[in-house]
Amino acid sequence: MTAPALSVDNLSLAIGDAVVVDGIGFSVAQGEVMAIVGESGCGKSITAQAIMRLLPPAIRRTSGTIRLGDDDITAISERAMQAIRGRRMSMIFQEPQAALDPLATIGTQIAEALRQPLSRARPAVRKMLEDVGISDPDRRVDQRPFELSGGMCQRVMIACALISRPTILIADEPSTALDVTIQAQVLDLLRHLAIERRTAVVLITHDMGVVADIANRVAVMYAGRIAESGPTEAIFAAPRHPYTALLLASIPRLSDTPKSQLATIEGRVPTPAEYGSGCRFANRCPRADARCSNETPRLRSIGPDHFTACHHAEAMA
Amino acid sequence: MSDTLQITDLKVHFPGRGGEPIRAVDGVSLSIAPHETLGLVGESGCGKSTVSNATVGLVSPTSGSVRVLGTELAGANARTLRAVRARAQMVFQDPVMSLNPRMTVGAAIGEPLLVRNLGRGIALRTRVAELLEEVGLRPEHASRYPHQFSGGQRQRIVIARALALRPALLVCDEPVSALDVSVRAQILNLLVELQSRHGMSMLFVSHDLAVVRHVCDRVAVMYLGLLAELAPGDVLYSKPLHPYTKALLAAVPEPDPVMQRAKPRVLLTGEIPSPANPPSGCRFHTRCPIAIDICRHEVPAWRHVGNSQVACHLV
Repeated sequence: MTAPALSVDNLSLAIGDAVVVDGIGFSVAQGEVMAIVGESGCGKSITAQAIMRLLPPAIRRTSGTIRLGDDDITAISERAMQAIRGRRMSMIFQEPQAALDPLATIGTQIAEALRQPLSRARPAVRKMLEDVGISDPDRRVDQRPFELSGGMCQRVMIACALISRPTILIADEPSTALDVTIQAQVLDLLRHLAIERRTAVVLITHDMGVVADIANRVAVMYAGRIAESGPTEAIFAAPRHPYTALLLASIPRLSDTPKSQLATIEGRVPTPAEYGSGCRFANRCPRADARCSNETPRLRSIGPDHFTACHHAEAMA
Repeated sequence: MSDTLQITDLKVHFPGRGGEPIRAVDGVSLSIAPHETLGLVGESGCGKSTVSNATVGLVSPTSGSVRVLGTELAGANARTLRAVRARAQMVFQDPVMSLNPRMTVGAAIGEPLLVRNLGRGIALRTRVAELLEEVGLRPEHASRYPHQFSGGQRQRIVIARALALRPALLVCDEPVSALDVSVRAQILNLLVELQSRHGMSMLFVSHDLAVVRHVCDRVAVMYLGLLAELAPGDVLYSKPLHPYTKALLAAVPEPDPVMQRAKPRVLLTGEIPSPANPPSGCRFHTRCPIAIDICRHEVPAWRHVGNSQVACHLV
């Protein structure tokens, strides 16, 4: 078996003394879309930043390895990391208009990802714009971001990220700022690119609908830890962590009976300062008992490629 | 009983760059009966928020009529608007921006009553306590400040303030869009419960079709300043008529991988055109998968088909 494109092992991140990501691990194979899903503050976005080694100065990595293929990138110099970013591993962000340079033309920005002047890279840039579904690429190449809509800017950012044919794409809420019909286009594009180019995609999202649409596997994060991970179908069909189950039940669906009661999760997500011992979901969990508040549940196998961090997972089957 | 809200041929144009007005709303008619919740859905820039702002007199109509409980808002003076706003209250998307950080929660909720001389002293404090309990908070929360609350709790405070004057119409503009999934469900349950308890009418504006499905009796779909379709919820979601409604429903990613992956994909191509320069004929024709020649030249009439109203030449 070949090594996965990306494997993260026992990654912990801290702000001061507060551990905001606590020993998480996962791997992504070539051509696979792996979603990390969770609510605000669960640590999903800083996990993505840690993989790119783009953490803000206030956040430190306190443990863990991040491997691209066989190379541990936590051990290499910043200079070596710069050679990896944008080549072997790229990232796209939620707000495309904020991520692009407002003063540079689309073509210049895409060519920059190849470390080439546009004059030399123009044919490759043109082809890339076509591949991400931008019509009239000859005209678009010389336009600036403000002349494009949000959906088109997101395509441009995807083009910047993929022109160097990275093996890994980190996508942080790539469709969240977009309208639903444009979101469908961008998700379709990501799906095709993952399949055709065999790119490994790490998709950070809060939207279970987006997960259901394009992820092969999913890791559900809660308060800095992975609550449950596994194949998308298995997790949606039979969640084995109460948080996942409640999260799924609390989403309004097109097939709902109007005005019916949605399942709710009492209370709120704890802040890192409030993290205590035991399971961090215990004080909101309908199944919690004394063991849950004392003993931290380890992520353990519960089915084929299916892992959960719950003492009561057996009772949920 | 007459309608709580009656909007007839409403147009709201804003001055645009280069002389062409932005036709944010360009001829919308709809009504909301007592006890009814009407959902207004559409993508960004379709004009849905402008309609909701016009409903509480926050923007003045360029032409057309907006009547709340029979009172005309178009051209109304400040005194009339003030009277109407007591009956039509608004909840906005961002609860952080909706609350004055330097006012206690109790002062914020009591303010509508205070400025209208509807309560003071102990009576006011009692009513504020009642309102807090009604939205699932505790009376002692009245002395705290907004920053001491989570996003979901702050939206509850905003809702309590909107209910203070016992409005006949509650206008909610994306009330749960800024909230996390688990909190969103709490607020939706609360809105459904309050609406049935008080029998208010509700205009519920959202980009999220599943959320609208959940809380609304009837649903209007808006595209580029005009209504595309308006129908009872169960009809709109089971038998959508307008190709735009169909495309919107197909584009919603549903939290069910088996269903989602089996779903036929009606991917709309292209982008939403600018409301400063809307396409001729049917405004949707530039993205419509089934458009024919007439769609490019002739504006489709707004007409009844069964229990639905729709604007499409091909229905």
